Amino acid sequence: MNNQALTPESTAETREIVLAARAAGSRLLPAGRRTWPGAGGWTRDGGTTVSTSRLDAVHHYEPADLTLTAGAGIGLDRLARIVGPNRQWLPFDAPGSSAGTLGAAVASGTSGPLRNRYGATRDNVLGLEVVTGDGRSLRIGGRVVKNVAGYDLVRLFTGSRGSLGIITRVSVRLFPIPEADETLLFAGGPSEAVSMARTVCTSEVPVAAAELVEGEEVGADRAMVLAVRLLGGPREVEESRRRIRAALGTEPWRALDDGGSRRFHAARIGWEEGASLVARLAALPDRIDAAVAAARACATRANGAQGSAAITADVLQGLVRVRAALPDFDPTRLAETLATARREMEALGGSLTLSHAPPQVGARVGWTGSRRETAALTDRIKALFDPDSVLAPRCP
Amino acid sequence: MIPGRLTKELARICGRDAVIVDRDRLLVYESDALTAYRHRPGAVVLPRTTEEVRRTVQAVVRHGLPIVPRGAGTGLSGGAVALNGAVVIGTARMNRILAIDAPNRRAVLQPGVINAELSAAAAVYGLYYAPDPSSQTACTIGGNVAENSGGPHCLKYGVTSRYVTGLTVVLADGSVVKAGGQGREAPGYDLAGLFLGSEGCFGIATEIEVGLLPVPEGVRTLLGIFDRIEDAGRAVSDIISAGLLPAAMEIIDGPTIRAVEDSVFAAGYPTDAEAALVIEFDGLEAGLDHEAERATHFCLRAGAREVRSARDEEERLALWKGRKKAFGAMGRIAPDLLVQDATVPRTTLPAILKGISEIGKRYNLIVANVFHAGDGNLHPNILFDRRDRDELERVEHASKEIMQLCVDAGGTITGEHGVGLDKKHHMPLIYGPDELDTMWGIRRVFDPGAVMNPGKVLPEETEPLHANPGQDPASGELVGAPAPA
Repeated sequence: MNNQALTPESTAETREIVLAARAAGSRLLPAGRRTWPGAGGWTRDGGTTVSTSRLDAVHHYEPADLTLTAGAGIGLDRLARIVGPNRQWLPFDAPGSSAGTLGAAVASGTSGPLRNRYGATRDNVLGLEVVTGDGRSLRIGGRVVKNVAGYDLVRLFTGSRGSLGIITRVSVRLFPIPEADETLLFAGGPSEAVSMARTVCTSEVPVAAAELVEGEEVGADRAMVLAVRLLGGPREVEESRRRIRAALGTEPWRALDDGGSRRFHAARIGWEEGASLVARLAALPDRIDAAVAAARACATRANGAQGSAAITADVLQGLVRVRAALPDFDPTRLAETLATARREMEALGGSLTLSHAPPQVGARVGWTGSRRETAALTDRIKALFDPDSVLAPRCP
Repeated sequence: MIPGRLTKELARICGRDAVIVDRDRLLVYESDALTAYRHRPGAVVLPRTTEEVRRTVQAVVRHGLPIVPRGAGTGLSGGAVALNGAVVIGTARMNRILAIDAPNRRAVLQPGVINAELSAAAAVYGLYYAPDPSSQTACTIGGNVAENSGGPHCLKYGVTSRYVTGLTVVLADGSVVKAGGQGREAPGYDLAGLFLGSEGCFGIATEIEVGLLPVPEGVRTLLGIFDRIEDAGRAVSDIISAGLLPAAMEIIDGPTIRAVEDSVFAAGYPTDAEAALVIEFDGLEAGLDHEAERATHFCLRAGAREVRSARDEEERLALWKGRKKAFGAMGRIAPDLLVQDATVPRTTLPAILKGISEIGKRYNLIVANVFHAGDGNLHPNILFDRRDRDELERVEHASKEIMQLCVDAGGTITGEHGVGLDKKHHMPLIYGPDELDTMWGIRRVFDPGAVMNPGKVLPEETEPLHANPGQDPASGELVGAPAPA
């Protein structure tokens, strides 16, 4: 990747860049702040980065409508500062997102643990302006919260990772910040923690998010900690706290309220930072034990002698992530480990995908499992928006 | 009528009783719930399995006929109307719930399962299916997928697309595609998301995986009575601005209240009121009373004459009755009803309502409003008699003006009913040529031969290259409307 990035200041300029690249037969890589280059293996050699970081104006914000339209390059941190004084927020908590832009969050389409309460990223994107790979500027969706006019191209672009167009403007749905924000941390041994997680999954208590984290990351002396986040009115949260304690039959190791809870989860967003391997193991929530075991095996094998690998799980979604720094690693052995874990996950009806890996490992294992049956549709969609492959390669 | 050879072939695939070609029996299928559009299908086929759908699609396509997927026919945009002698593939017999996976809060079902029946089946496990279109006792989940349906409670819970996690789809070329699926991450384009709301133009969903929610422990329902509809609108804005998130907030206006109270559905709303606002909170019992008190305060502060609150389920149903029976009651006043479905930014509601009322007066028409106030989704109902040519023409004009008014306010032409046949000519109000062109392109990605539900969603005149120049352009006119000069 070139270090120089093009930074258009308007949609029209973005369009000129794409048209020029198309005419010259050159390649572009859409990006936001470039905080997460290469994620998911959707990068390739060659090509000029087009960063939307200067498209960061707020075009429309009516607090009482709980909607906002801004340039794709607006930082999620800045957006939070703009809507926060009205006690509103955009509950996007995908890995790494706090440092990134709104456009990148939409393009990656990844969601974090709050998905359970607020829906996935794609459920809260109302409209987009995009410049397609063939240089058309499209306005799709709108800025109202209910809209079924025409085919849902907004969903198609959410998670398309810069392969169909460059997102230049985004309209999103905002939410009121709940009056109470509490996180209960329950500590336990490996199997104890997983069993607590399963109890929380099937409890009737409206839990906003629940994550398993390594005990030592949060200073606990037990192997794992289950972080249960409760959001809502003060009375609802108080009652939920009482019931969660009763269901788990134990007192939390720690209880974080408001500021503490928010800081804890903000820190979790940066969990993947600095890792050279991030694998995502997904299964139905009631198979979380098997997914955690497979993830733990990956972490142990990836560790080598150094030992900084860790796992974390979004238990309500059945998603376990493995993170490793890989200071020294044997690519063949690592690829074998990941391939074995993928086979185990697929046997459960689940999946293993890589969001970050050394290129030779990614190429050997495959960033995702096979998606042959939708390949023809995917190719046709790519060709419709980016016939000359000016932009990032199509999603697998 | 379809060729005899095709009839025989379809009977071999699905069984003789699953193929309807008799003219009288086809009458039932000539419209959906928007009865202004009527076209008799060439035939109706009622397959039972994905494999039968696949073979039916192949057979019909081989004979060069178009296909219209159909659920219960409760749609309100003419989406399930069979133009040009199309063959209807109905999902009435694909009505099995294949699995309810309670630990993972999900269900897998065939498209013909009735929305309310899914919730009833899930209730055994303390779960339910959240999207609740008003027609939920009749409409099918397959139809909900095609329209991306909403409902009163999607204010808090979101629309169909939030709950559909996986789809098995039969495409026009007879291929079967699986998209999404819980418990695995499928990176790549969100094909299930793209398919949702595609109104039968991309293929037929034959298996649907959905997420379920735990049944809320408690519910509080309030009814605010207002002398001015703007005050009701302000109460809605104040409640949202205060950070409260009711499960539903619904307004019915004065004309609708009077229609309801004049009918067998009388719900005890004061007939001199200009707006009734139904507010519902749900969740854990703890905290609900507090939320209801706060909402009551906002209603009174905005000028509510009174705020009633339901003490039990019976009273709750009574408060909802006026809202739920509004459409039925209006049927008594006029033989015909045009339901619109625009969505506008919530803060523009008071101005929009005033504008709609002025348009109604200008064209001397009764416009009654029922709407999902919390998310700005309006249902202005124009009451008329289609036998009155002059009135019909005024309805057409008023309806276009109302649509334009909503679009100008930053809104859209349909919030939950879909475009179908009814609103396709309004698509250029919100999309330019490039956007429409792209939608034609996406349609062709799934259905290169324009076999699936042709003549819907996109106006023919915007098609980049007419695929079937010999075919009659499907009529988007109301039945009985005067021919354009």
